[in-house]
This record gives sequence, C-alpha cells and structure tokens, in this order.
Amino acid sequence: MPKKPIKLPENIEYLSILDENAKVDKELEPKLSADDLKTMYRYMVLARRGDERMLNLQRQGRIGTFPQSSGHEAVSMGSVYALEKSDWHVPAYREFAGMLYRGWPLETMFLYWGGFEEGAVPPEGVNDLPICVPVGSQLLHAAGIGMAMRFKEEKKVVLTYFGDGSSSEGDFHEALNFASVFNAPVVFVCQNNQYAISVPLARQMKCETIAQRAVSYGMPGVKVDGNDVLAMYAATAAAVERARAGGGPTLIEGLTYRMTPHTTSDDPKRYRSEEEMKQWANKDSLIRFARYLEDKGVLDGDARKKLHEEIDEEIKAAVKRFEEQAQSEELLNPLRMFDYLYADTPPDLDEQREELKRFLAKKGKLPASEAGKEQAHTGRERG
Amino acid sequence: MAIEFKLPDLGEGIHEAEILEVKVKVGDQVKEDQPIFEVETDKAVVEIPCPVAGRVEQILVKKGDTVKVGTVMITFAGAAPAAPEKPAAAEAARAPEEKRPAPAAPERQAVPVQARAGEGPVPATPATRRLARELGVDLRQVPGSGPAGRVLADDVRAFAGRGAGGREEAPRRFAEREPAEPFTPQPITAEPAELPRFERWGQVERVPLRSLRRKIALSMTQSWTHIPRVSSFDEADITLLESLRQKHETQFLKNGGKLTLTVFALKAVVAALQQFPQFNSSLDESTGEIVLKHYYNIGVAVATNRGLIVPVVKDVNKKGIGALAAELQEMAQKTRDGKVELERLQGGTFTITNIGPIGGTGMVPMVNFPEAAILGMARSAQKPVVRNGAIEVRWILPLAISFDHRICDGAEAARFLRHVAELLEDPLQLLVEV
Ligand SMILES: Cc1ncc(C[n+]2csc(CCOP(=O)(O)OP(=O)(O)O)c2C)c(N)n1
Repeated sequence: MPKKPIKLPENIEYLSILDENAKVDKELEPKLSADDLKTMYRYMVLARRGDERMLNLQRQGRIGTFPQSSGHEAVSMGSVYALEKSDWHVPAYREFAGMLYRGWPLETMFLYWGGFEEGAVPPEGVNDLPICVPVGSQLLHAAGIGMAMRFKEEKKVVLTYFGDGSSSEGDFHEALNFASVFNAPVVFVCQNNQYAISVPLARQMKCETIAQRAVSYGMPGVKVDGNDVLAMYAATAAAVERARAGGGPTLIEGLTYRMTPHTTSDDPKRYRSEEEMKQWANKDSLIRFARYLEDKGVLDGDARKKLHEEIDEEIKAAVKRFEEQAQSEELLNPLRMFDYLYADTPPDLDEQREELKRFLAKKGKLPASEAGKEQAHTGRERG
Repeated sequence: MAIEFKLPDLGEGIHEAEILEVKVKVGDQVKEDQPIFEVETDKAVVEIPCPVAGRVEQILVKKGDTVKVGTVMITFAGAAPAAPEKPAAAEAARAPEEKRPAPAAPERQAVPVQARAGEGPVPATPATRRLARELGVDLRQVPGSGPAGRVLADDVRAFAGRGAGGREEAPRRFAEREPAEPFTPQPITAEPAELPRFERWGQVERVPLRSLRRKIALSMTQSWTHIPRVSSFDEADITLLESLRQKHETQFLKNGGKLTLTVFALKAVVAALQQFPQFNSSLDESTGEIVLKHYYNIGVAVATNRGLIVPVVKDVNKKGIGALAAELQEMAQKTRDGKVELERLQGGTFTITNIGPIGGTGMVPMVNFPEAAILGMARSAQKPVVRNGAIEVRWILPLAISFDHRICDGAEAARFLRHVAELLEDPLQLLVEV
C-alpha cells in the first residue's frame, strides 16, 4: 500500500495532580514526606517574598533591572526537587526558587541583579551554572554537559529551563537534537508563562503545545500544570529517573503565568487584560499548595505565619549582607569593570584600565587596594 | 544627619519621571518599603517604596513635576541608613564627576571646543578608539564634537587629515587608506603559523589584510605552496634597441603610446613562447596533464598605490609594436586609477614584471599562479663590457625567469631566456621573427 499513516512513538499527555481548588488526585499523588513538602513550600515562599523585596530594592535604586519570578515557583521547585545534589542545574533567569534551594545565598542573587560579577559565582560544591540571560543559550550548555556526563560515564542528570519564547530559537532545536541524538541525560523544562515579553503564545507558534515539539526529536514530551508543584515534581522525577538509567532526554512543558511585569522596566497592562491577570492570580501555586499542606496536616495557619516571619527576617539579613558587600571598597572599585571580560585582557583594555587608574589617582579616588598593584593585568602570556 | 533619596533609574536607561502622586507629608513617620511616590516613566507607572524608616523632613518635588534621574526628591531625619546613602553598583562608577558640589553640566559643555587637558579618560566609543589607534592619533589631542564632548570617528579622521601640528598634511599611513571598515579575522591558509605575542616587546599595530592586499596574499600563498619554482638569470645588451627606441620615442608618443622596453619585451616573449610552448602552459594537478595554450595573453605587473595588479594584454602575437605601445599605456593608466575592466585581469598565459623604472640589479619573481613562468626585468644601465677584446660602454638589461619546474627544466629556461635576450639585442631579428 503506497500511502499509510506513520505511527509516531510518542503521545503527548497532560498532567495535573493538585488542581486550583487544592483537590488532589490520590492515585497520582507523589510520595513525598512532610519534610520534603515543607522544604518545597519554604523555598517557594522565600522566592516569592524575595522577589517582592527585590522589586522594592530596584525601585529604590539599590539594584538594577531584573526579571521577576513570581508565578514561576512551582515549575522551578517541583522540578528541581527531583534532582540529587550532585546533578546539574542549569537555570535561565526565573528559577529563583530552584537556585535558592540548590544553595545560592539570597545576597548572591541580589549581587547578580545589582550588577556585580560575584552574583554569577556558584557557591562551593553546587553543580549549578549561573543565571543565563541570553535567551535559549543555556539549553546548549545543558546539552553539552549532558553529553559530557555520557562520555565520562557519570550518572548525573542535567536539568535546564527556558521560556516559551526561547522555544522558537535555533538554540532550543539544536540543544534538543544533540541531546536526543547523543542520548544525553538532560531534562528540558519549559517555563511556559504564555508570553515572550509582550508577544503572546499564539503569535510565537502555531502548534498546540510546546511539549509536542519533543516528537520531532524522538524524545518523550509531557505538558504539566505548571502551578501544580506536585505534578511538576512527579513529571520531572520520572524524567530524571529515565535519564539516569540511560533513557535519554525529556521535554517537560509547565503551563503557568508571570504574575509580574516581564522585568522591572516593563508595563504589562499594555498587552495583558486585568481580567486575565486576575484569573491566573486565582491559580497561584502557593495558595493551593498551602491549602494542600494544611489539609494534610503538614503545615497549619500558625506554622505558616511563623514561617513567613522567619523568611522575612532571613531576607532582611540578606539585604544587609548584600549592601555591606555592595558598599565594600573591593566591589565599588570601578577598575573591576575590566575584569572577567577576557581570559587574556587585550592590550588596549589594559591601556584604558591604566588610564582610568591614573585618573582616579589624580582625583584622589584610587582605592587603596589598587595603589600597590602594578599592572597585574598586563604581560600575561597567551595560554 | 538627613538622608536624601534621589530618583533612581527605574527602567533600563530612563532619564526622567513624572510625579503622579506624593504619598507622604513632611513630618510623617515612615516605614521601610512603604510607598512614598507614584511616578510615570516612559516605560511604566511605578510606585516608589521608602528606602528607610524615619521621619520625612523635606519633600522637594510635587505632583506634576518632571524629575531627572539623580534629583533629590525627599529627605528623611532620624533614620537609620538601612539603605546606602548612595545607590550601589551603577552609580559608583560615575562617582568622581558627580560628587562635585557644583552642577557638572555647563562645565561639560565647554569641552567640545577645546582639546582636553590630557589626563582624564576621553569619552569615545571602542570603534573610535580603534580608529584612532589605526591612524596613530592620540585621542586626548582630538577635540570632540559629540554629546558631552564625546570624540566621534569623524573627529579622529579630521584630526588625522590635519596632521598632528594642525597644519601640515599628516603622512598617509597604510591603514589610513581604508579606515574602520568592520573586519573579521580570517586565516589566509588552512594551517596558519603560530605567532608570538609581539606586544611583549613593544607596541604593535594590526592592519587587516583587506581586498587587494588579501587577494595578493592568497595568490602568493597559492603560488608558493603549489609551484616548485626555480629561477635563472641572464642579461641582454640592448644598446641598439635603446638607440632605436630613443630615436622613435616621440613619433610613437604621437600615436598615443610610450615606446617602453616592456613593449619590446612583450614581442620577444611571445616569440620565445612559440618556440618553447611549455612556458605558455599550466599543470592540471587534478588530472596530471599539461594544459598548453594556443593563445598568447601576456600579463604585465603594474604597481598601484593599493598594491600589485596584473592586467593582461590579449593576443600579443597578433598586434604590432605601435598598437601594443598604445594599449599598454592605456591599460596601465586605467589600472593605476583603479578603473581597469575585470575581464582584462583574467586569462593571462605568461607574465612580465619590469621593476626597471624603480631600480634593482636583479630579481627572483614569483610565478603568477596558475601560469608556468614569469619574466623579470631589472634596471637597464650603461655598463663597461668586454667586446672583441676591448672594453666598451653598453646598455645592459638584467633579466630573470622563474618557472614551474614540474613542467619545464633549467636548460630550457636558460635557452628561453637567451632567446628573449637575443631578440632584444637584435631589433631586426625581433621584427623578422614576430
Ligand atoms: C538571545 C537573546 N535575544 C533577546 C533577548 C531579549 N529578551 C530578554 S527576555 C526575552 C523574551 C523571552 O521570552 P521567554 O523565552 O518566553 O521567557 P520569559 O521571559 O517569558 O520567561 C527577550 C526577547 C535576550 N535576552 N537574549
């Protein structure tokens, strides 16, 4: 018979376990201990409150522009919780909850958005890549790490994130193709918040789901309620397990909503209706998760209140530590702007650095730490 | 001490904001993060939360005001500076200028007319800095005509054109002829050789190999790597030819052509090529065949200020001395003016390079790939030579041939060169033979 349908191996499923009314599907409910659940909730709240506090810091001129993460906590937290500590976490820029859980101190995140390179340095022993702003590029890094894990025969899994908009970029397709061809242990998680800045999903792609793009790369794809931290956990745990066992990559689409502007310079009222924003506010992952924890007897109202207070204190202390560092002579040294750009600083940059140094010295503003340093940056051999 | 709060950059690079609402009054006790203003930037309407806890001492803006970033909006008394007195990162870098008590603006505007004092960083974009480096211009000397005294690329070019003293013409440097086109480094061979880091021993300048220079580099690399080249030398006694040439020079000039040695060499070479056809061929490396050409198109190397170009005189065997003289002159002029037609740069079978007018007692020319050989002519001069046992003063022209040793051998090359020399020595023979 010359013409017949080709059977494709993958079906795209939708997964929801804890719905917006906090009703849980008992059959699908993942087996997580009370401590697990409390930890997940804690980092989600820490990210939410931290995000709100950062907005204030930005409005007060204490940090720079940053992309807010409120609304993205469940996708991040549910998925990252399926990792072992030694696995790899490769975030984009809205995985605040996941990064905090992985061990990034709050003040490091403040430093990052305050414009200090120190904010991009992962803490000792944390297998994370720093925040990645060039949209989609982190997926290639993740695919590369996954391939490396295969070559080195290490049983570590890579978990990486991207936005719906990123899935229209070449990087996304290249990363998925390589990961699948090389059977790399990578879990690709889409923070589908339905907008790439002001461009709605319908103007980004014509297919029904992002998850179905997995079919073209011969990997499983699943669409998940991204405001349901349990479903995100369950879907990712399955993908991580498969990847670790040599089963290759998975694409997970978490459907959620950005509850804030795209960044602190954006005005979403110009492209989203109040009505839509309100609707999604009701689906907030934190509300339903808190009710679930209460219903389960894991965390009642009082305990929750106490936790929130603790978290606010924690944030306050982190802001203080951040500002001490940001005000330190070392970090305020304007000469640092020349550091970390090149492995070998080109001579013209060295020249500019020396020029600025002379200028600062003349104005009596040369940091004491620089005074003794003699051209530490020049004369380096090419490695 | 009162704590001041200045309007921060609320978006990415906004300059000002309009005050929509002031949410506190003088004397109010405020908490950190309590909303104090609502403002509108060109990006969005935003609320400004209070940076400290304390009492409002002064409010320096009112509803409807348009406020520039950095303007003090409000001051607080009795406040613990939970927030830094200065916003952190971005502003620290600008601090030196801005902390001065007097407004900086008028001072800055004075900068454009004068070249600056020479100690501070000069505002200029990286591309302009690079251009300055390429032109050997000291940026500090250049008056900037851009906003806030920024030095623009045109300022640098104008300055370079004026010369460092401001009056005389600056010496034109290689890089200056082709300024600041974007350049992507590209190797010129498949396996580029490693270089040391020259900057270790002093300042260096990197000049991109552009267009013609690059083409020359590529074709010379090709010639050098593909053609096992051998050279051979001879000289021709052109005393007779010289007297003939000088006698008829004016007459030829009238007909539009300069009667140069090259014109005669064209004829002599074609005669020699007809006798030694392997010098008018190419080796096809892919098939292992010699491609003999039954046409005689002779390239003549022309030095231009952009580099070496080799236009081709077609069918030299079919043209007379007068026609060749005229064509050669017209072609060389067009080539120097950069107006030679593309088709006249192709299809050569052999090349002549005459460095005589510039000088040199001899040369080892490079074969013009994919040809088989090239004739080099150095400077002809009067020399004492022994003739019939006596010393005589004669016009001597040094000649050289370089050839592809895969196709031709040394003995043939020596004969070829001798043949050319004999024809140049005996103009009558030249007329008879060709
Ligand atoms: C390579 C690249 N192009 C453009 C941008 C500017 N940019 C920043 S965020 C963004 C939209 C990304 O949308 P999406 O992937 O849906 O992620 P979201 O911000 O919604 O989380 C763009 C275009 C960028 N950061 N990197």
